[in-house]
Amino acid sequence: MSNFVLLIQGFGTALTPMNIGACVLGAVLGLVVGAMPGIGSLAGVALLLPLTYKFNPTTAIIMLGALYYSNMYGGSFSAILLNIPGDSPAVVTTLDGYPMATKRKRPGQALLTANMASFVGGTIGIFILTFMGPGLANLGLKFGPSEMTALLLIAMTSISWLVGENPIKGVVITCFGILLACMGMDTLSGAPRYEFGNMYLLGGIPFTPFVIGSVGFAQVINLINDREADNEKRARGESDGMKLSIRGSMLTGHDFKRLLPPALRSGFLGTFVGVLPGAGATSGSFMGYAIQKKFKSEEPLGTGAIEGIAASEAANNAAAAGAFAPLLALGIPGSGTGAVLLGGLMMWGLSPGPLLFDSEPEFCWGLIASLFMANIFTLIVAICVIPFLIKILSVPIKYMIPIITVVCVVGAYSTSNSMFGVIIMFLSGIVGYLLNKNNFPSAPMLLSFVLAPLLESNMRKAFILSGGSISIFFTRPITCVLMIIFFAIILVSAIKPMLSKKKNG
Amino acid sequence: MKKRLLSAVLAGVMIVSAAATGCGSKSSSDDGTFTPTKTIQWMCTTSAGGGYDILTRKIREIMPTKDLVNGQTIVVTNKTDGSGEVGRNEVATTTRDADYQLLTFNSGDLMPMVMNTKNRSSNFRILAIMAVDKQLLFKGTDTAYDTFLDAVKAAEAGTKVIIGGSKGDDVATYEALIAELGVSADNMTYITYDSTGDAITAALGGHVEFVISKPAAATEYVAAGSLIPVLALATERYTGNLADAPTLSEIGDYNDVEIPVWRGVAAPAAMSDAAVAYWSETLKTVSETDEWLNEYIDANKLVADYMDTATATTYVTQYEADYMAENGIE
Repeated sequence: MSNFVLLIQGFGTALTPMNIGACVLGAVLGLVVGAMPGIGSLAGVALLLPLTYKFNPTTAIIMLGALYYSNMYGGSFSAILLNIPGDSPAVVTTLDGYPMATKRKRPGQALLTANMASFVGGTIGIFILTFMGPGLANLGLKFGPSEMTALLLIAMTSISWLVGENPIKGVVITCFGILLACMGMDTLSGAPRYEFGNMYLLGGIPFTPFVIGSVGFAQVINLINDREADNEKRARGESDGMKLSIRGSMLTGHDFKRLLPPALRSGFLGTFVGVLPGAGATSGSFMGYAIQKKFKSEEPLGTGAIEGIAASEAANNAAAAGAFAPLLALGIPGSGTGAVLLGGLMMWGLSPGPLLFDSEPEFCWGLIASLFMANIFTLIVAICVIPFLIKILSVPIKYMIPIITVVCVVGAYSTSNSMFGVIIMFLSGIVGYLLNKNNFPSAPMLLSFVLAPLLESNMRKAFILSGGSISIFFTRPITCVLMIIFFAIILVSAIKPMLSKKKNG
Repeated sequence: MKKRLLSAVLAGVMIVSAAATGCGSKSSSDDGTFTPTKTIQWMCTTSAGGGYDILTRKIREIMPTKDLVNGQTIVVTNKTDGSGEVGRNEVATTTRDADYQLLTFNSGDLMPMVMNTKNRSSNFRILAIMAVDKQLLFKGTDTAYDTFLDAVKAAEAGTKVIIGGSKGDDVATYEALIAELGVSADNMTYITYDSTGDAITAALGGHVEFVISKPAAATEYVAAGSLIPVLALATERYTGNLADAPTLSEIGDYNDVEIPVWRGVAAPAAMSDAAVAYWSETLKTVSETDEWLNEYIDANKLVADYMDTATATTYVTQYEADYMAENGIE
């Protein structure tokens, strides 16, 4: 039977009133959970999982699938309006989202861009999942340690586009990110590294509090600086010219034209990254953004460009859809959330694994159909709430400071239910603020913090496989192609300035 | 005036809530027996939704339905700081309300704990062991060796054979295996993955030749023909679709290798003897329920091997001593 017919049957399953209700509930909860910093899809799915034990498995997975999926939408809300990423994939969205909302004074358009791009990326991801899911999952299997190392090396080159005006500062901050990522247990030998005798540091620096601090709380300290100016401005009755009406929030035709190409590119790229073992939506959004750096954007990335928001948001939604391919086709979780969903499958009495598509077609196709529904439904809900959400920006700074601080503290606490997260958040906030003040860009630090542990573990595994020989990176076909791309990128960036110098000279 | 009223109300709320949570109330174990009279705290040092979290929540689900905890609520806290060491240390050092604090404690927790911290199993009361898991070695379809013995011979001849697996228990099993085989770690190399799932993924993709896994994680792949069981790391063969895998003593002149993966429940060292006896007995009752046997033990293909506090303490102490001796930990 063709996949299309199976999908239609899946819609038959998903469109029962009970399942529509579950999908709607999951989508709304996902938006809320996603918008709350610290409570990402992992915690959201894990918290809801015990409630679903008594459900029929199809209804349960439809609800959790919708929650996981709409979470990617919600994450961008606080990233754009408060500069605090609601979940880790939204970190990249802050880079352009917050400047677009505040400096360019187009908060409504920033949110709509994020959601439209999420929709485009997600739709591409779900279509690919529908028609090529099992095949893609098998392709993902071909990515072993050496292939992943080569791919991550390519991703790491994107740091050079993120470093900004001062390359030395960029390199310093990248190394700082890598060093921070080295803390905690060595993933291969289990030996503690840089834990300074502190039991808390055995687990390394937790990512979410680190990001909430270095991006969000650093922002609070910045706001404290601006408080007096804002008070005076308000006392004089001056407006900052921000369009907070529904009409003023709509995207123009030109905006659409700008967001579509990056969203399409990121949709395909994100799906592929989502399929790879252990990569996930966060790496997906970083890679989508990095690729966008190579294409033309109307405004420079990092200054509030629509293209930047679209590239990151489309990639993370597509990756979330892509991650379902190995989960359903092979029983392999592509992310932490996938692992929890897998645990859920077992609790509902299903056996995840390579036979799931054959043994439980109603379940698998019902889930895929529900992703289509969740995608459309979340977009509608998101568009309806945006005009109200952007009013947040009209709140005076003196009230925003305590509000955002509370959000940061709660978010940091809820990642591991302990004050350790809060301490990390405050410390990284202070460090992040000082770095900003001295023109050290934070994006390379976050990117290297995310990618370095993956790169390290894959590279070391590759060397164990080859007995320490570098030949493993050139004798396997996929690895070899990726390594050639990697060297080409480096060569082009080295030669280009020389050529243009010659031309100008 | 308003502020004063507010602070008076807040103070009142604090007093009432302190009273409601049983602040300063006497432990009910004074007369030699123990019955819980307030909320029970259960620490789980892995994240919500993981395997040991499911174990914890399953027990929590069964206890009230069988009326085993005197109608009290059990609150599960997932504390993953410091790879779980912070939560374990917190339980070990709990003195206040120690009778009401439980901890999910497994062989996979004990190994990094004795390796990286000063905490030992003697800093806890071991209440019970609820289940034991044993492992198998599987090969992927791309693996060049027909049997595991072929791989052993190849390794002895100097060819590199790669085994993948997860952390903790799997590493200990691998080390015991190569020690018994007498091959070097250079020729039979181990790659540590973050989870068994990741290791199986690597085996499916042909990136490792063999993978160590518990039966539950691999059985579906065996059914689909993408993993083949080649060695039972136990003293006897498994049943069902894993029955084809011989034990080590069957394939050559070796002793069987079996590193049991146990799943237990511990408590603070300060827990009273009466409470220890109560919890040990309560967990025994849980281990005999149909829900536990069908929905947990059978679903995860585990061995239902309940041990009471005395047996479990001896068992864990010996397990710890062996592990420390093998790894040269003082």
